[in-house]
Amino acid sequence: MSATMTDGLSKGTTGPMTRDTTALAAPRRDFGWLAAPITGALGLAAFWLFPEDLGLMTRIAATALYVLSLDLVLGYCGIATLGHAAMFGTGAYAAGIAAVHLVNDPLVLLLIGGAAGGVMALVTGGLILHARGLTLLMLTIAVTQIVQEVANKARDWTGGSDGLSGVDPAPLLGLFRFDMFGRTSYLFAVAVLVVGMVAARRIVRSPFGLACRGVKEDPLRISALGGSPRAYLVTMYAVAGIFAGVAGALTAVSSGIVGLDSVSFSWSAEALVMLVLGGTGRLYGAVIGTVAFMTVHHILAATDPFHWMLFIGLFLMGIVLFLPGGIASGGERLRALLARKGEGDQA
Amino acid sequence: MTILLEVQGLSKNFGGLQVSSDISMSLKAGDRCALIGPNGAGKTTFVNLVTGVLPPTAGAIRLDGRDVTKLSAADRVRRGLIRSFQVARLFKSMTVREHMELAVLQRDRRTFRLFASVAKTAGLADEVAECLGLMGLGAAAETPVGSLAYGQQRLLEIALALAMRPKVLILDEPAAGVPHSESQRILDAIDRLPKDLAVLMIEHDMDLVSRFASSIVVLAQGKLLCSGATRDVMADPRVREVYLGSRANAH
Ligand SMILES: Nc1ncnc2c1ncn2[C@@H]1O[C@H](COP(=O)(O)OP(=O)(O)OP(=O)(O)O)[C@@H](O)[C@H]1O
Ligand SMILES: [Mg+2]
Repeated sequence: MSATMTDGLSKGTTGPMTRDTTALAAPRRDFGWLAAPITGALGLAAFWLFPEDLGLMTRIAATALYVLSLDLVLGYCGIATLGHAAMFGTGAYAAGIAAVHLVNDPLVLLLIGGAAGGVMALVTGGLILHARGLTLLMLTIAVTQIVQEVANKARDWTGGSDGLSGVDPAPLLGLFRFDMFGRTSYLFAVAVLVVGMVAARRIVRSPFGLACRGVKEDPLRISALGGSPRAYLVTMYAVAGIFAGVAGALTAVSSGIVGLDSVSFSWSAEALVMLVLGGTGRLYGAVIGTVAFMTVHHILAATDPFHWMLFIGLFLMGIVLFLPGGIASGGERLRALLARKGEGDQA
Repeated sequence: MTILLEVQGLSKNFGGLQVSSDISMSLKAGDRCALIGPNGAGKTTFVNLVTGVLPPTAGAIRLDGRDVTKLSAADRVRRGLIRSFQVARLFKSMTVREHMELAVLQRDRRTFRLFASVAKTAGLADEVAECLGLMGLGAAAETPVGSLAYGQQRLLEIALALAMRPKVLILDEPAAGVPHSESQRILDAIDRLPKDLAVLMIEHDMDLVSRFASSIVVLAQGKLLCSGATRDVMADPRVREVYLGSRANAH
């Protein structure tokens, strides 16, 4: 026993008593920063390749931002939630109501949506994040139900079950009109998604992001370092609320309508499905999962209107069974496999 | 010398089982004290009570003149009461470097910077390199802790505690699981700390205790058996009986 430990210890160190401050191992390569530019480039390519599908692709881009915000909460803090639509819907309604009554500058509407989503997350997160596990899951569902019921009852503002329509944004930056083909909407949505990916990556790599990863693994150990796990959780919940609120506002601005389904339980659950499908804790997994799910959904629904639900189910089961870490983990596995093979060839 | 840590009448019951009963002791600035006692004597429980991980059934804890009995564990840490864990308690998916970064950032209260970069935080990389070098962990900096040898995990555990700039440092069996050749590293690292902090070390290895401690406190069955200068306590027949004797028999 002690012999193996001595082996482990002396591995890489020059001797038991040397103070080898210089021999710090080189940092691992991290290609995660490529995700945002690749998303932007593929988004532009799709603009020319599929001009007929701009409406669908706009929804995908806005949804990807929404699922990305869920990854901040689930993937980086370990908060299991089935109530993320509360923040998305609050942002969508706030932007929609503001557009009808107050302003119609699209960027200002996104700011309003983000602020509303962030405040909603801050308030509800402060109330419920002392709970964990199943209790927390129930509370997140309850919050969504309450928000949906409020939206349903406040007909004068939200249009109730008819939905809120008449969102008519002014030209973007005063230059680009939202045309009837949805070109401006689509490019706007992709740009917001890319900015969101860059911002989210910055946050998860910040000192704050590091602390959140610690809370996810062992909140008590964070206390032993002098940190307050709850403060980190509530802050990240609020930050994710801002992202979700912007995604909601983006959907409202680009589609012109906001419905009760944007604050529904099923919209929360769908975000979770897309995130798990793509892979949690990587940010780009959220984008991959959203694109995969919504594309497959669209194709199946168009080709086989009667059985598409069945095929979606089979597709999800296949991924979860054969790639438990999500689609994004497939690439990593392949790389690990190739690396092992490379080592084998050398030996 | 100022008293940094003062414990008065500390007791803890788990159901009917009294694991700590009426323990009083104090640590002055500059103290190097060893806490010894047979397995199950209640040493780790005592540390958990003092650091706020467990609430005491009775008793009071004063840190640097302030009553901290009601404060949370994190609040006590922020006031300089730092401990290391007997069983390494680390974040499995984080690398060794990330652990050190987190500890230093948390200590400096810089963890609520949402848009700053860890990699570009001024002075951080140098301090992390120094702390890791001190424990001989430099080459393992990028290794995820989950795949680290246990002895190295223990050294990292101690490096984290040292980096927190403690006023009172409690080390729960720091050398357990660390190969003998490496245990001197731990004493060296403690020697490099400011002399005016108080260190309490739980340790079974009597060789290490005699090299480290100027005084010893002995716990047996949750009670304070005796305390005093290292040489006196080691010569005490009661201590030889409950502690040294029982361990000698066990081996
Ligand atoms: N949470 C708990 N509930 C019930 N009993 C406990 C609990 N924690 C510890 N004990 C008991 O309290 C006693 C003291 O345990 P403790 O871990 O403090 O001993 P120790 O002196 O640190 O021993 P060791 O040298 O093995 O580390 C043991 O009998 C243990 O079984
Ligand atoms: Mg113990």
